[in-house]
Amino acid sequence: MPTKIEIKNLRKVYDTPERKVHALEGVNIDIEDGEFLCLVGLSGCGKTTLLNMLAGFVEITAGTILMDGKTITDEYDKGVVFQEYALFPWLTAVQNVEYGLKIRNVPEKERKEISVRFLQLVRLEEFANLFPHSLSGGMRQRVAVARALAFDPQVLLMDEPFGALDAQTREELQELTVDVWQKTKKTVIYVTHNLSEAVFMGSRVVVFIPQPGRIREIINIDMPRPRDALSPEFIKIQRNINELIRDW
Amino acid sequence: MAEAQSGLPPLDLDAPRETPRTSIWVYLRPVWPFLIILILWQITAIFLHAKMGELFPYFGSIVFRGWELITAPLIKAIGAVADQNLLNQLKEAKLENLSDAGFLFQLYAIIFKNSLGFLDQLSHLSKSPLLWHVLATAWRLPFAFFIATIVGVCVGILMGRFAFWEGFFVPLLSVMLPIPALAWTPLAVIWFGNGDWTVILVTAFASFLPIAMAVWTGVKTVNPVWIRAAQSMNADKMTIFRTVVLPGSLPMILSGMRIGLARAWRAGVGAESLAGIRWGLSAGIFDAQEYLDTSFMMVAIAVLGIFGFLLEKVLFQPIESRTIIKWGMMEEMGGQDKKI
Repeated sequence: MPTKIEIKNLRKVYDTPERKVHALEGVNIDIEDGEFLCLVGLSGCGKTTLLNMLAGFVEITAGTILMDGKTITDEYDKGVVFQEYALFPWLTAVQNVEYGLKIRNVPEKERKEISVRFLQLVRLEEFANLFPHSLSGGMRQRVAVARALAFDPQVLLMDEPFGALDAQTREELQELTVDVWQKTKKTVIYVTHNLSEAVFMGSRVVVFIPQPGRIREIINIDMPRPRDALSPEFIKIQRNINELIRDW
Repeated sequence: MAEAQSGLPPLDLDAPRETPRTSIWVYLRPVWPFLIILILWQITAIFLHAKMGELFPYFGSIVFRGWELITAPLIKAIGAVADQNLLNQLKEAKLENLSDAGFLFQLYAIIFKNSLGFLDQLSHLSKSPLLWHVLATAWRLPFAFFIATIVGVCVGILMGRFAFWEGFFVPLLSVMLPIPALAWTPLAVIWFGNGDWTVILVTAFASFLPIAMAVWTGVKTVNPVWIRAAQSMNADKMTIFRTVVLPGSLPMILSGMRIGLARAWRAGVGAESLAGIRWGLSAGIFDAQEYLDTSFMMVAIAVLGIFGFLLEKVLFQPIESRTIIKWGMMEEMGGQDKKI
């Protein structure tokens, strides 16, 4: 697999009037095209900061991020799924999915076709014409995934998207996300503090430790899919990551 | 099926049910406080009658005055086409001003002694003085409110988008906002003269202030995650403003317009009484003061209340239920469902 994103010697210092916060230090990752990369770690370890830098929401203090060999700009196409419900409440589910296509001036007919296809991908085509407030939390995040993918972005960035959902819905959406990833072959970067989620979905898991946020280890997960979260191998990997996060 | 073991009677959840009927009392419930006040009013009138007479009118007199203000041209026309006998009786009823008898007699005349066509009746009704007072007050209001909304929304957006204009307008508006519109009115009369334009300007100015403030707050407090979501899809600033900030601040814009309209109504009614205008509910009230026509004053006050209430119900509730309530944005703001 070719390298999609190259992160080199990345550093982030938040400079607020009260104090300086050293959020990330010496981060090096080569993200392969089409891989599912999970970032895990305790709160405050810089995993969300890294995602926000990839999304262009936060400025880089030092170091570089290259995409396809070129320094990233704010304008590259990325789909982002947030932890909060970020759907536009004044648009229906299908209109939300269409949004990214609409601002790219895709003709209406094509736009409709594409967005209905992506709603089918997240199994919500029946709810296309409902407004977000009449959808459940899990459904809203599925629409958000469809919205983030519909305009064919280069990468999909997900920041604890299922953190606010109940356990059963979360498992269902993990399976759905893996399914969507396998069908669309997108590069996914997924931030979570839920280790079982990371092992279930990721092709690699990046383990962060805090103060300052840095990488402890990058773990390849070669288990065949669909993975069984109760198998001994799965639990072994999860326990290993847990120790890496806590004992340093 | 568990019914055999439990020993409870079988349960049929799909059995047809009686749909509970909403009692008429539910709709009439808001009326009873008015009935209490009415009874108290009537008792007070009885006690004060010897001392004050019509200066503290019975409820019946007020109703009759309202009836008269609406139907006077029609009654006159009916009298004109009916026999002389009826005309005399009508005159008598009016002269004595026996409210109950006169009212019933006039009602009888309109229903049974009426040889006028439907359109003729309408044209006579349209000459009623009360209608003209209401129209005179009402036409200035939407005009002024329209100006206030346009200017208020523009200024509010300017404040929300550009730090310079925010710094310019916020101190000004904060000082202006607590000044009652009535305080400006005498000044406006000297500068712009007596008449409709003075009233419209004062009304528009009073209602523009809260609209601008609310739009500014709305634009500033749009949920940042919506803006990030649009940014991540590479929407440019203008697109984000048009497709995210504006609809996202609609709840605040509407609530600003609601306050603006309420202020416009109050300011307009106040200003018209000072601006030397002949027609208009409040102008009429000030006029009636000269003639000690307390019944007219009460009628006009009641109409002011009803009109303001309808304005809110008719104008804002449909807009809200079609937008922010349908989108579930009222709950998101922490507001309550305004259906009462």
